[in-house]
Amino acid sequence: MNWYQWFSLTALVICLGSLILHAVRLIRLGNPKDFSQPIGKTGSAMPYAFVGAMSPAKKESAFLHMPTYVAGIIYHLGTFLSIFLFFLILAQINFTEWVNWAIAGFLLISGLCGIGILIKRIVKKQMRELSNPDDYISNALVSAFHLITAFAILSPVPHPSYFVFTGLLLLYIPIGKLKHTIYFFAARYQLGCFFGWRGVWPPKHP
Amino acid sequence: MAKLSNDIAEKGLSVLKDKNNGKLIAHLNSCVHCGLCADSCIYYRSMPEAKFIPAKKVDLVSSIYRRYCTFSGRVFPGLVGARDLDEETIDEMVDLLFGACTMCGRCTVHCSIGVDISYLVRTGRTMLSNMGLVPKTLQSTIDSAITTGNNMAISDEEFVETLEWLGEDLQMEVDDDTAHIPLNQVGKDMLYTLNPREPKFFPLSISAMAKVFYAAGERWTLSTKMYDVTNYAYYSGNIGEAGVIAQRLYDEMEKLGAKKCILAECGHGSRAFRWEGPNYIRKPYPFEVLTSIELMADYIRTDKIKLDPGKNPDRVTLHDPCNLVRSGGILQEQRYILKKACLDFVEMNPHGNDNFCCGGGGGQLAMSEYNERRINIAKLKADQIIATGAKVVVTPCHNCVDQLTQINVTFKLGIQIKTVAEVVADAIVLNENENTSK
Ligand code: SF4
Ligand code: SF4
Repeated sequence: MNWYQWFSLTALVICLGSLILHAVRLIRLGNPKDFSQPIGKTGSAMPYAFVGAMSPAKKESAFLHMPTYVAGIIYHLGTFLSIFLFFLILAQINFTEWVNWAIAGFLLISGLCGIGILIKRIVKKQMRELSNPDDYISNALVSAFHLITAFAILSPVPHPSYFVFTGLLLLYIPIGKLKHTIYFFAARYQLGCFFGWRGVWPPKHP
Repeated sequence: MAKLSNDIAEKGLSVLKDKNNGKLIAHLNSCVHCGLCADSCIYYRSMPEAKFIPAKKVDLVSSIYRRYCTFSGRVFPGLVGARDLDEETIDEMVDLLFGACTMCGRCTVHCSIGVDISYLVRTGRTMLSNMGLVPKTLQSTIDSAITTGNNMAISDEEFVETLEWLGEDLQMEVDDDTAHIPLNQVGKDMLYTLNPREPKFFPLSISAMAKVFYAAGERWTLSTKMYDVTNYAYYSGNIGEAGVIAQRLYDEMEKLGAKKCILAECGHGSRAFRWEGPNYIRKPYPFEVLTSIELMADYIRTDKIKLDPGKNPDRVTLHDPCNLVRSGGILQEQRYILKKACLDFVEMNPHGNDNFCCGGGGGQLAMSEYNERRINIAKLKADQIIATGAKVVVTPCHNCVDQLTQINVTFKLGIQIKTVAEVVADAIVLNENENTSK
């Protein structure tokens, strides 16, 4: 392996190590003990917290903002795909050419979705007032990651800058809001516990 | 505000430095600033300024957390938007966490991540409370409850006198000389609580519930020592004071040996005693706690009371109190009751778990300094009511009754506001020979 591959691999270990520490802490702490008498079941609320409550039919933040919601979904899919491809690229596993083109096409779209979300953050006054530098940087880095990954899989040998960029992104993840990779699940788990215990989720029909 | 000393700041920060609260840590780290919660909030919908976006309120708390409790916030505060706890931050916290949030939880349900926004607002209020920065108006309501036993500082004599004439009223209403409102009786099945606004301003809702108990042949009692279902310290975020108030009702239940504690129609009071109370006092209750809504629904289901919906012929709609419904799981019971008690029941849009707060929650009714905002946000509720064409708005919460009454006057709706017990009492068909109050 070259130095830049080692760099990205080291960054991956640091990133995963840090995220695992966050996850272990959250799992160890769990949900605070509740002394009240439940009227619902957290077990049945949990699937709803992670699936039903996330659907655009139930979530106002989704159905009132469909373009942003759809762009967000594509953007996140592109991110998962780019991370998956990073492992394949490191392991030098190749696809056929048309698969590479299809993946690159999707990553181009997901990257543009990310850029679209970034533009919305820059252009809308309300969003600017809500944002800190980390919000812009995280969004820009991840969008660029999609596009750089697209180029990388179309190249016979990925350019060193791909590994350097990916390494920097991986090092940045635990610093800012990108660690919602872990906290998203923790927050939804806590909501499932809260609303399930009180019989609010899964929702009854009025 | 005056200069913030380190000692005082530390009292606020101690809330965030709790390393053992997984729920708090999860929610403090989750917001991604997508801004999609904005439209779920009655404040932002009514006054579309960035400061009213729920995430801004979250950020007031989480930015301080980042500054003092995270590596990146300590090393790169500017990068991650970490903020010092200083006078400016505190002024903003008081203004937005107390003055621009009813802790209705609507944004929580719709947050794209799942941040419990109202919980974080309450956490911010706890910080302010630890620093002695609860708005005076709200604090005086709590002080009344702590020093006199009820938040309206009603004297025992005044309370007993009110109940005596209500008892006489009940006798006339049900045409039975033995009917009465039992006080301080030991060993009854149920201890019923009240919102102090009832004896003070809305005594008819006490008569209504007494009539329901009478019709059901219930073994119940009221306490003159501790009847207040409210707990405004839940709103201020002062866990110690909230615990004192919850413990009092717990002690009264033990003293009177009642099997069930029945919570009057009060959204936050129900939440504060049923759901938060055991956690305030760090022990489970050895008795059952039920809302009067669940109890009345059960009376109807089991035929303990009979209703004639023809006695409520006007179109009725329902306002769902946030703490009872979205954070309390009581959703179907009030609908079941109204469908049995009224001829023409229609829903507001949206309703149930998605309902808009009336604007009076979160202690807003007690904080007169934010009256203008409270009335601004109420326009949404007024529009919802108008769209139903209802003549009567029913709500199982006395705080909501208060706010709806002001909405009625301000927006000239010409409606009647009632509690669920009042509607049920109006619809009750009495069989005088069988029913006696025991
Ligand atoms: S919707 Fe949730 S994650 Fe997005 S800004 Fe609002 S609180 Fe933060
Ligand atoms: S809890 Fe209710 S009032 Fe407070 S920010 Fe959320 S939606 Fe707005």
